[in-house]
Amino acid sequence: MSLAGLTLRAERGRLIDKITQIDGVFCLALILIAVAGALMMFSIAGSSWEPWAANHITRFGVAFVLMVALAVIDLRVWAAIAYPLYAVSLILLVAVELVGDVRLGAQRWLDLGPLGSFQPSEIMKLGLVLALGRFYHGLSADRARMSWWLLIPAAMILAPTLLVAHQPDLGTAMLLALTGLTVVILAGLSWKIIFAGLGLSLAALPPFILFVLHDYQRQRILTFMNPESDPSGTGYHILQSKIALGSGGLLGKGYGLGSQSQLNFLPEKQTDFIFATLAEEFGFIGCAAILMLYLAVIFMSLRTASLAHSHFGRLTTAGVTSTFALYVLINGAMVMGMAPVVGVPMPLLSYGGSVMLTVMIGFGLVQSVRVHRYTEVTASKSSLI
Amino acid sequence: MTQPSIILSDVNARQSVFHRRAFLLGGGIAVGVAALAGRLGYLQLVENARYDKLSTSNQFNFRLVPPPRGTITDRNGAILATNRPNFRLLYARQKEQDPEAMISTLAAYVPMDDARRQRILRDLGNAPRNTPVAIMEDISWEQFSAVNIRATELPGVTADMGEVRVYPHGGAFAHVIGYVAKVNKEDITGTGPNAEPIMLHPGFRIGRQGLEKALDLELRGRPGAQKVEVDARGRQVRLAPGGDIPATPGKEVQLSLDMDLQLRGLELFGEESGAAVLMDCRNGDLLAMVSAPSFDANRFVRGLSTAEYRALAEYDHKPLFNKALTATYPPGSTFKTLVAVAALEHGIDPEMTIGCPGHWYFGRRRWRCDGVHGPTNMHDAIASSCDTYFYTISLRLGPDKIADVARRFGLGQAYDIGIPGQKKGLVPDTEYKRRNFPRDPRWHPGETPSLGIGQGYTLVNALQQCVSAARMANGRKALTPRLIRAIGGVPLPDGAAAPDMDFDPAHLALVREAMGSVTTRGTAARTGQIGLGDIRMAGKTGTAQGYNYNGGRGIHGTNGPWHLRDHAWFVGFAPHDTPRYAIAVLVEHGGFGAQAAAPRARDLMRLALLKDPELRSRIERPPAPPVSVADSGAGGQGGPA
Repeated sequence: MSLAGLTLRAERGRLIDKITQIDGVFCLALILIAVAGALMMFSIAGSSWEPWAANHITRFGVAFVLMVALAVIDLRVWAAIAYPLYAVSLILLVAVELVGDVRLGAQRWLDLGPLGSFQPSEIMKLGLVLALGRFYHGLSADRARMSWWLLIPAAMILAPTLLVAHQPDLGTAMLLALTGLTVVILAGLSWKIIFAGLGLSLAALPPFILFVLHDYQRQRILTFMNPESDPSGTGYHILQSKIALGSGGLLGKGYGLGSQSQLNFLPEKQTDFIFATLAEEFGFIGCAAILMLYLAVIFMSLRTASLAHSHFGRLTTAGVTSTFALYVLINGAMVMGMAPVVGVPMPLLSYGGSVMLTVMIGFGLVQSVRVHRYTEVTASKSSLI
Repeated sequence: MTQPSIILSDVNARQSVFHRRAFLLGGGIAVGVAALAGRLGYLQLVENARYDKLSTSNQFNFRLVPPPRGTITDRNGAILATNRPNFRLLYARQKEQDPEAMISTLAAYVPMDDARRQRILRDLGNAPRNTPVAIMEDISWEQFSAVNIRATELPGVTADMGEVRVYPHGGAFAHVIGYVAKVNKEDITGTGPNAEPIMLHPGFRIGRQGLEKALDLELRGRPGAQKVEVDARGRQVRLAPGGDIPATPGKEVQLSLDMDLQLRGLELFGEESGAAVLMDCRNGDLLAMVSAPSFDANRFVRGLSTAEYRALAEYDHKPLFNKALTATYPPGSTFKTLVAVAALEHGIDPEMTIGCPGHWYFGRRRWRCDGVHGPTNMHDAIASSCDTYFYTISLRLGPDKIADVARRFGLGQAYDIGIPGQKKGLVPDTEYKRRNFPRDPRWHPGETPSLGIGQGYTLVNALQQCVSAARMANGRKALTPRLIRAIGGVPLPDGAAAPDMDFDPAHLALVREAMGSVTTRGTAARTGQIGLGDIRMAGKTGTAQGYNYNGGRGIHGTNGPWHLRDHAWFVGFAPHDTPRYAIAVLVEHGGFGAQAAAPRARDLMRLALLKDPELRSRIERPPAPPVSVADSGAGGQGGPA
């Protein structure tokens, strides 16, 4: 790799050049997923753009533009705002604990008056990844492997996770914890600690389920174990989702003809269970295509991570990718009856602004890493712009 | 965190660790996605048939369709009970919905008062969720369409078309046919036909009274099913093509009643209370069975308000009560015909005369007779209803012989005519006295004279009186009444197959002869003439002291308060020489039998005779000279003694 290759292109700094560096195939995959989501929303609204499909497309358009805008932001700026963003997110999470809105029995929302309301846990998903990347960027391999320094990332992960879990939003808490762990592991955590931790958490699982979880959360897990035990209550969602999936068959019932979703048997059909809607109307072929698109997005992201010269870029991109992958895997497993019902949507396919924004901001970071893959990020603050 | 420089080897170490682990991460994710795809393949390809079936059972429901209830017709096929279409408003309580608020919203479309709202809320409380409850029956087309258009704004509310039971003749058949009503919680049983799910259908009605109740299962039919596409809330989205199972209508029931006679019968009573039964004395077919006053059965179908029901229930003329079957009265002097038969059967000479000075002494008591009849034989005693004669011969016969004859004439028993609620009445004898009066078990001779004139313990209902008259007129067979002619086109056996009564036909002819004189020169001479050529009606009047029998010393006639007056009876048959129809008329607290009951019997009988095609030629024959009429009328059966 020549010196010119390392610096020149990245240092050109011209906006148009930067934009051309954004991965076109990657963007196409995102657009295809979002359009598939809008198509399904159009179908289940009875062939109507209202109330979901038009909104979904508009939001995606806005989020896409935002992604492009974020992609041209210099990686060093990302590094600079990493800690402040994490700190702000943590403060907001505490704030939501104190003054947040209670909706559907959980205190997750912060009211911003005319700007609407949002969930601070969404910003934290990005904030945590950035902060961990920033931390490990300045840490030697040895210390990252096994040392007392690890207590710092552990605290960085644990604090937001516990706050979010207390809301209670078990799905997001799990997502935060797993994302954080992925970054820590990718940064080079010793396998000894990994396996020890794994063993320990497995041992801690039964008491956790028995004593820490809320009743409804425990109920969800029990129902998940045996959904037929309660077909009208909590097991209803899982059962109806499986019926929708299973009845789709190889080719599906046809666009607009899914009886499970059209007749409202499927709960949350436009949000958490939109994958089941798609499965019903487009069958195994449609599902496989969407899963391939997701896999493509994930691999293109990971490739971007491995191309990055900066450790910060590598780790944050991998962190964002793992969040995205976790969304897909958890939602997929839930819809297929392999995981308890937790409020995790299928990213970009499901209706909902909050998660779409989070995901697209994350991809903005990923594309920024790609655009600035040759940029060196120094560890000290003084080296910032 | 002040690590100004990281040595190059360390950077490389971090990078290579990252690359290795990122590769592992990618592999892990790929495995995860592959697992999803595998699961998807299992659900969608392997288990597809199973889930397809589940999906179909979600999507389609079979909605029960109530069967059209069987019609009820008279003997000539005139409709007495049928169904007509109606629009109704239904509401099924939804999850997280305040029914009270919904009812208030609906009140904007269909007017409802508070009592009605309370009732609907109670109905909703009793019904399981998602089971539609009728909010309003018989709404207008405008109301129907107004609600239908706004169906999407009113979740759980539907307006549909159903059928409602209708009785075109209102009150005339109300006691016989009864009525249908909404199904109560108590109607639903764990097993049997009343456990079927159709019972919960808001359009379904159950027979509540009379024949509607007795023949409920025959009239009900079998519910059909309609295949509909439903959403998760169980709301009908659209009708599914094909797959409907048609409902089987209930069986048609044909009665032996004649609509014209029944209507005329009710009309004849006017404001009076009473009963009239008219039957064919050759086969036992009931042509009219009237109880007056009556009520409009259609109001019960719609649902009666408490005030309406109270008004009906508290009226002292008791319109809800079937007086032809359920009410029993002393037979009064109509009973004398049976005492006469008993006397003849036990060898008393009909020509023997008994002097009537207008009273009779027995056991330190003076027994009254209605008139001073002088020397009286059996024929005259019946014609003029002489109490003295019957006091004497009943005393001679004793209660058991009289009771035996009365029972053979059909008193003291209930008949299987298809409707419940008949009272057997009472034919007393020594056995009865012994069993029911443990402190005074002996039959005192002083109790017999009352029995002889149809007072005392004796109680009969109008149907029994008519049966008794029909058996007298028939002369041979112990006829039984028939009300239901056919169910679903299958005829029921008529009363002609009855066994013989085993009386000497000459004895009965003799009594019939005397009954003929009742309407020519006896008690009903002025009120019992039907004036149809040479056809005459024979009969016997009766004035029964129902309130408190005291040997004829009570309030007679139409004086005094209504509820203390005597009951008026008339039993008879016509034509007198070749009887076809028998009749019994009771006017509750009507006063004298000859005044209150006989004219009504005459009018009803007149119509029955006019309607009979076989009598037409006799009626239309120009009247013969008066002398020969009297001769042929009486002479046909031996002439008066």
